[in-house]
Amino acid sequence: MAAPDMRRVMLLRAISLRNQRVLVVFLALMVGAAIVNALASVYFDINIKMSSELRTFGANFYVGPAKGHTLPEKDFEAVLAAAPAGLIEAGSPYLYGSARSELERIALVGAQFSQLGRLAPYWQVEGDRVGVDFDDRNAMIGRTLAARLELKVDDTLTLVKDGEKRSLRIKGIIDAGDASDSLLFVSLPLAQTWLDMPHTVSHAFFSLNNRAGEVDAFAEKLQAAHPDWSVRPIRKVSANEGEVLLKIQGLMGLISIVILLLSTLCVNTSLMAIVSERKKEFALQKAIGASNRSIVRQVLLETLSIAFLATCAGCLLGFLLAQVLGQTVFSSSIGLRWAVIPITFALSVTVALAAGVVPLRRIMYIQAAAVLKGE
Amino acid sequence: MKKDMANAIAVETRQVGKKFGSVTALDGIDIRVGSGEFVALMGASGSGKTTLMNILTCLDTASSGEVWLDGVNAATLDEEGRREFRARHIGLVFQQFHLIPYLNALENVMLAQHYHSVVDQPSARAALELVGMEHRLEHLPSQLSGGEQQRVCIARALVNRPPIIFADEPTGNLDEENENRVLDIFEKLHAQGHTIVMVTHNPVLGHRAERIVYLQHGRIVDAPEAISATARQTNGSRAFAMAASESARP
Repeated sequence: MAAPDMRRVMLLRAISLRNQRVLVVFLALMVGAAIVNALASVYFDINIKMSSELRTFGANFYVGPAKGHTLPEKDFEAVLAAAPAGLIEAGSPYLYGSARSELERIALVGAQFSQLGRLAPYWQVEGDRVGVDFDDRNAMIGRTLAARLELKVDDTLTLVKDGEKRSLRIKGIIDAGDASDSLLFVSLPLAQTWLDMPHTVSHAFFSLNNRAGEVDAFAEKLQAAHPDWSVRPIRKVSANEGEVLLKIQGLMGLISIVILLLSTLCVNTSLMAIVSERKKEFALQKAIGASNRSIVRQVLLETLSIAFLATCAGCLLGFLLAQVLGQTVFSSSIGLRWAVIPITFALSVTVALAAGVVPLRRIMYIQAAAVLKGE
Repeated sequence: MKKDMANAIAVETRQVGKKFGSVTALDGIDIRVGSGEFVALMGASGSGKTTLMNILTCLDTASSGEVWLDGVNAATLDEEGRREFRARHIGLVFQQFHLIPYLNALENVMLAQHYHSVVDQPSARAALELVGMEHRLEHLPSQLSGGEQQRVCIARALVNRPPIIFADEPTGNLDEENENRVLDIFEKLHAQGHTIVMVTHNPVLGHRAERIVYLQHGRIVDAPEAISATARQTNGSRAFAMAASESARP
């Protein structure tokens, strides 16, 4: 009959016969691993998630003429063509001009209606948005201008030019809280025609994903290729976006540290209790010839085995938790990132080792003679 | 076998002293135990017998003097050396048995083999058979009676064939029947040539040893009258009374 491996026998028995204490250590490590795993998953996804969230603040990239007031419309197409795949979320050329209504002169702007929803998602629209780029029968009007002209949704506004008239139905009234409130929005082709500025735009706004500073890089690239353009990220949004990201990532890091500290304390307390309970056992082992090193190795092996199992469970739980966070905060799922798993394991092992330092030292100082003496 | 070992000294202390702060627990202890001898260390509580036992088993060190065990001066050993010496040369039997609660009887015995060298299951079984525990190999300590636990403890002490077995109040937690059974085992081991040093405060147990060493207030003394009388009545011609002073050395 093969001799059993006593280390393995002791490991399995010690873990299986101390259910309650082991369970506490297991749960503490599992919760720590789950939260670290979830936050790390979100951390890696947050650039993309937050970037798309911050897009709701509006366009963050401007391309206009360096000199003069207009650009050829084909330059807008050139910007789209130069952008790396996936960088541009939305973009529209804008053409500004002055037009006369039957009542007064008004500021008119032509744009691609289909893009406005993503370039200006913060607009509060009474009525409906115009959804088609070439819609020349409907228009949207800013709240201030509508009030001045006493227009309501479904009313008609008539533009007048050299005896020519063009009636537009007001499909939506915009409450933007900015200059848009004083503008009349029409389709770009209509604006170009009405203002006699064919194939011309004033400038273009884009909404870009700010992945790893790509906006700045793209701006530099465009500017270098087109010195006749004025290319600039809209700093107010881009810079804030970076700061918010940093703050949120810092907060997540802080939460992770706090959770890991709490896990460490919990595991440490449980290990101290286990060592205290097993004092006589360790003293006996020393008395019959076990070295401090072999006993410490035995307890370390027990702790790391529990940590391994707890981390496996924590990774699964953490992934689920990340999905809950993703759905709750960003309304989207969080991808499985393999890099998170070794990070979680490394931190769990660190927690287990840190928590074990004091209990393991206590084992080394157990005096067999004092513990085993008869009563 | 015993005759061959008659001149060999298994345990010898020379002027061993032990102080705990300002308290003197042992003072000038001189003992010699020959190979194959069965010696009882007796004394009242506080006499220093457990302190002496801890020093003899290398679980503690003397403050002064020399301790020779199986030809090795234990005073020269560091902690690691004492640990290794315990694993290879000493078998320990405790009053409270001290078995690992989650290992069965066989595994508890094999644990001593594990720390000694390699695990040898047949030898561990044989040790348990020697103490009459072959029918309880797979039982956990919690499933064994006190006497059975002590017999497992003795098997653990024997399994590595140590030159010396030290037993600290081995029957202190046992009823009379189990007490006799354990002592029968010690006598059997003694008959086989094992050197046994047993600490006890019970004169009835002490007289079952070949010789008794009396301790009082940390010193070796002549047999206290009360103990001697009881012992003489039950031990006839046994030489326990010569236990007193061991100061004479060649």
